[in-house]
Amino acid sequence: MIYVIDHEDSFTYNLVHLFENFGQTYVSNYFNIDKKKLDACKIIVFSPGPGEPSHYPETQKIYYQYRGLKKIIGICLGYQQILYAEKGQIIPQKKIYHGYQSRIKVLRESLIFKPNKILIGGRYHSLKLKEPFSSKTLKITMRCVETNVAMAIEDTINSVYGFQFHPDSFLTVDGKFLIQKILQA
Amino acid sequence: MLNNKEYLNKIFQSNKPLIIYKTIGGFDVYTDFKERIVLNSKNFKSFLNIKCNKLNSKIRELNCYVGFFGYELLCENINIKLPKQETLNFYPGLVYKPQTIIKIRKNITIKSLLKDFRKKIPSQKNYNYFYEKKFNLNLNEVQYSNLFKYFSKKIKMGETYQIKICQTYSNKSNIDSVNFFWKLMSINESPESFLIRDKDYSIISCSPEMLIKKKKNTIITKPIAGTLNRTKKMTTKYARSYFKKNEKESKEHNMIVDMERNDLSRICRSGSVKISKLKSVEKYRDLYHYVTEIKGLLKDKTTNHDIISAMMPGGSVIGCPKINTLKLLNSRERLNRNIYTGSFGYINANGDMHFSIIIRSILNFKKRSEISAASGVVIDSKPKKEYKENYIKAKSLLDLFKL
Repeated sequence: MIYVIDHEDSFTYNLVHLFENFGQTYVSNYFNIDKKKLDACKIIVFSPGPGEPSHYPETQKIYYQYRGLKKIIGICLGYQQILYAEKGQIIPQKKIYHGYQSRIKVLRESLIFKPNKILIGGRYHSLKLKEPFSSKTLKITMRCVETNVAMAIEDTINSVYGFQFHPDSFLTVDGKFLIQKILQA
Repeated sequence: MLNNKEYLNKIFQSNKPLIIYKTIGGFDVYTDFKERIVLNSKNFKSFLNIKCNKLNSKIRELNCYVGFFGYELLCENINIKLPKQETLNFYPGLVYKPQTIIKIRKNITIKSLLKDFRKKIPSQKNYNYFYEKKFNLNLNEVQYSNLFKYFSKKIKMGETYQIKICQTYSNKSNIDSVNFFWKLMSINESPESFLIRDKDYSIISCSPEMLIKKKKNTIITKPIAGTLNRTKKMTTKYARSYFKKNEKESKEHNMIVDMERNDLSRICRSGSVKISKLKSVEKYRDLYHYVTEIKGLLKDKTTNHDIISAMMPGGSVIGCPKINTLKLLNSRERLNRNIYTGSFGYINANGDMHFSIIIRSILNFKKRSEISAASGVVIDSKPKKEYKENYIKAKSLLDLFKL
């Protein structure tokens, strides 16, 4: 089972429909977690949402509790939540991307996607990862072609993955493929 | 005996409660209401799920409830409490069960459950209609700009991605609503136009925005995001290329499309939500709109209440993401929105329904008319332009008071 933690976003159910292509998916609000189901699930997804990672201590706790034990996938805010838990700083960016379609490049560090491949992704974020960022296991694996802002992370050892952009958006080309690759990894 | 046309004119000239609803090729007039239910957050769910299922009229067109849900009721329905605001204490929501329908097409046809419906016309009286030509606006440009700046900061911090600031025009008046409605239709007929006239209030709307059209298990929504002030020489072709090239309008629209896909996905079968018509341009008297149509197939056992709760209040008039943006809006708006950004429409006994978003409307209540308009703050918008856009949206209604 896939457990999607919803941070009261208006894009969460687009993501849920994507994941439902690959297995039974359960959704709950971040403040209303079904602990039994969370324990039973194989994959935890942190949804997009408003605000910044520090607004959601509940999700931080879940990350620390299950990191390395289950596959964890973060989208947008969820991606930032993973980085924040890994001591990354999330900061405002000068140019804000809401409803943007961007070209995104896969880096050599990716073990899942083909390096140098260009993806088209829909973006909805005010904040970004402050760099330089370093982690022993978590690698930045995609960047915006135009601004170089970090767009995806992979930690194949602990099975943690994330996208700053939205595979669930209609602006993203073949978001289903992106999710499939992560689930197969 | 009155013929159909004479009968219709008589009831228009009286103060008989009635609803006029724009439909394809004409108008439907509902009247002789058997029930009038005031909705509130306590009876809303049972009304939708129990009462609506118990309808059993012999005439198909009359097997429905017609009415509106106000903004506050729709917020409370998804557990968002409004703080204390200035309020007229208007009805949170009202629905009517009609016993007579008059169809205005090329000809006028009438179906009624009552034998003597033609006799049910109140005797003429003097109704003391009056109106001021001038309106007061609840936010001046400086106040609007300040609010705008406050919300822009919230966008920079990621707390909202798009938020719609509402402005309200009001004046002293007691209007002849049917007369106003037909005047409005002659200058700006739009697909979701309607009128409700009751003993103590009336609502006139030329809303262009369809929120829910449900037939069997198919559900469609048609959000509008993107407005262009229309000048006389402008063509639809120009408008299309304007929207296409304008990054701000496109992004604002994209966001609403993803949000409405989300809202449909809450109640639809996995994988069934599809964009059926992306980014078309629709023409109105004072403006062009950018519109997308999204379709889905409802999950089995989805209730009326599930549908209303997933879709209302309609996202395109609130902003995104819905919950946090509603909270932000409600923390700053001092004036109750009443009907504005609520919904009007009908539910049939078989569960089919049609609802619009109430915008471009006049609420006449307690000798006061109010007209609200809202436009979106996204990161690239300018307060002056959005302030002006609100005026353009309200213009065809404000103009009615100048005639």
